[in-house]
Amino acid sequence: MLGYQRSKRVSIWMEGAQRLMAHGILDDDIYGLEVRLSVDPSTREIREVAGWWNRWTTPDCPLAVERIDDAVGVRIDEPGMAGRIRKSVGRRGCRHFANIIIECCHSAREALDVLLYEEARKRRPSLSFEEFWKSGAQMPDDGEAGGEGDEREASSEGLKTPGALAVSYEDLDGPFIDIHVHTSPASPCSAAPVEGLIEEAKRIGLDGICLTDHNHVWTQEEVNALRERHGFLVLRGNEITTDQGDMLVFGYYEDVKGIIRLEDLRKEVLAAGGVIIAAHPFRGFLTFGVAKLGLTPEKAGKRPLFQYVDGVEVLNGKVTPQENAFSQKVAALLGYPVTGGSDAHEVGEVGQYATRFGRAITCEEDLVEALRKGEVAPVSFKKIRGF
Amino acid sequence: MTMPNLIDFSRNRDTSVEHVDEETLRARCFLRDTLMEAEVEILVKLPDLNITEARGRIVRDERGIEVPLEDLGKAVGVRVGPGMAKILSGLIGEDFPCPQLIFMIEECCHGVILYFTKDELAQAPDDLEGARDFFAQMLRKSIRLYNRCAAFAPGSSITEGIEPPSAD
Repeated sequence: MLGYQRSKRVSIWMEGAQRLMAHGILDDDIYGLEVRLSVDPSTREIREVAGWWNRWTTPDCPLAVERIDDAVGVRIDEPGMAGRIRKSVGRRGCRHFANIIIECCHSAREALDVLLYEEARKRRPSLSFEEFWKSGAQMPDDGEAGGEGDEREASSEGLKTPGALAVSYEDLDGPFIDIHVHTSPASPCSAAPVEGLIEEAKRIGLDGICLTDHNHVWTQEEVNALRERHGFLVLRGNEITTDQGDMLVFGYYEDVKGIIRLEDLRKEVLAAGGVIIAAHPFRGFLTFGVAKLGLTPEKAGKRPLFQYVDGVEVLNGKVTPQENAFSQKVAALLGYPVTGGSDAHEVGEVGQYATRFGRAITCEEDLVEALRKGEVAPVSFKKIRGF
Repeated sequence: MTMPNLIDFSRNRDTSVEHVDEETLRARCFLRDTLMEAEVEILVKLPDLNITEARGRIVRDERGIEVPLEDLGKAVGVRVGPGMAKILSGLIGEDFPCPQLIFMIEECCHGVILYFTKDELAQAPDDLEGARDFFAQMLRKSIRLYNRCAAFAPGSSITEGIEPPSAD
């Protein structure tokens, strides 16, 4: 028996010469909704949009209909169209309305190709769509919507041996550093300028921060300049997206663009003498947690990613307390060093969590060595400082 | 309307999720539109939600593009969860000639998430006050929901009395 089913239907037609109409219906086990869009066929801009609920979940879902107007003005073929609609209609209104609007936009693009083909066929009746297509059209990038499984046992050569059990920050006497911070514009998702983050970190009494922007490497010169200008410890790191999730990488400064297999990243980081910390490894879902899936710490500890990391981030500012607690349990079972970081994307978020070190940290080499040896402990920094 | 408005393009997309066995879910996405007909299927293992199989089939494609369907297998090992769309796209490749099939794998993954979400939502009470409390409680348990949509935005009845996310 099916446990879940979703059907979507989109119809596109020309209304006169000036309007391309799209009607979309999304109907699944949970939601039922419709949208109607009017698109200018010459500019490909959405001119009007209207939506209706048929079935919804929360008492406040109907509020979403007022927000779908954010799609007006978006071009159905602009680069990043789906992302723009997800961020506007999806976040301010409802992701399911965003889903069907995106479906309508993709279909409208293809409908315009069909219409152009029909025009071309009037001049050459024997023209096939394939010929027309290959003469210059491009495959629509519906994929913007947002290895073979490695069954081998990882060689222990070069891999970190699980270190001592996690220690308390009170057992250490070194600096407090927020080792997971994102800056704007280096991380597109961050709204925090680096200067503001550093000043805020100083204000609340942190001893340093690590800049761990998404797939972005700061140069040593840039970071040295920041240190000098602010008289504050600023260190380099990187948050790299792998096939096994996001990883905080320290001591490795290659610019990795796109997705890399964690196993391959591990080889490169080891060769460079760096370390990898699994970032928020159990960030779950909005409406249910990992317990719903029957995931226990014991089962979770068997995930392949744990063969390729040196530590686990167990206090992260962007996950729930339950998800952080679950990470702690898994890390404890495996005996991995554990860290804390705010994952700040706004200035005010820096220092929510941090890592206390067991030695003086003055440069990236000190940081990498401390992480490698497990001389670290996660801490709810703002809480202990009374913020 | 004063004249027949015949459809120039239509699309039907159907996604479903079912248990294969206690530990395995199968998610399928079917597409049929004016230009293309295709299907994609993934198997997902519980409790990690990692994709253990991924395959696709193009039944009809008016564009006649050659697609290396075996590349969909690169999705194996990816876990259904946050960031998966970017990971799938990155692994299967930005040069993959049929992004629609990658999108269909994402639709399958979203189907898996909604399968579990449906279960949670089935527990919501029927009465308005009860439902409001239920979703407010859901928000307190998963504060990431805050401001993720209109229903959980500041000013909605669900968020009344709930502080926006901040340090604990």
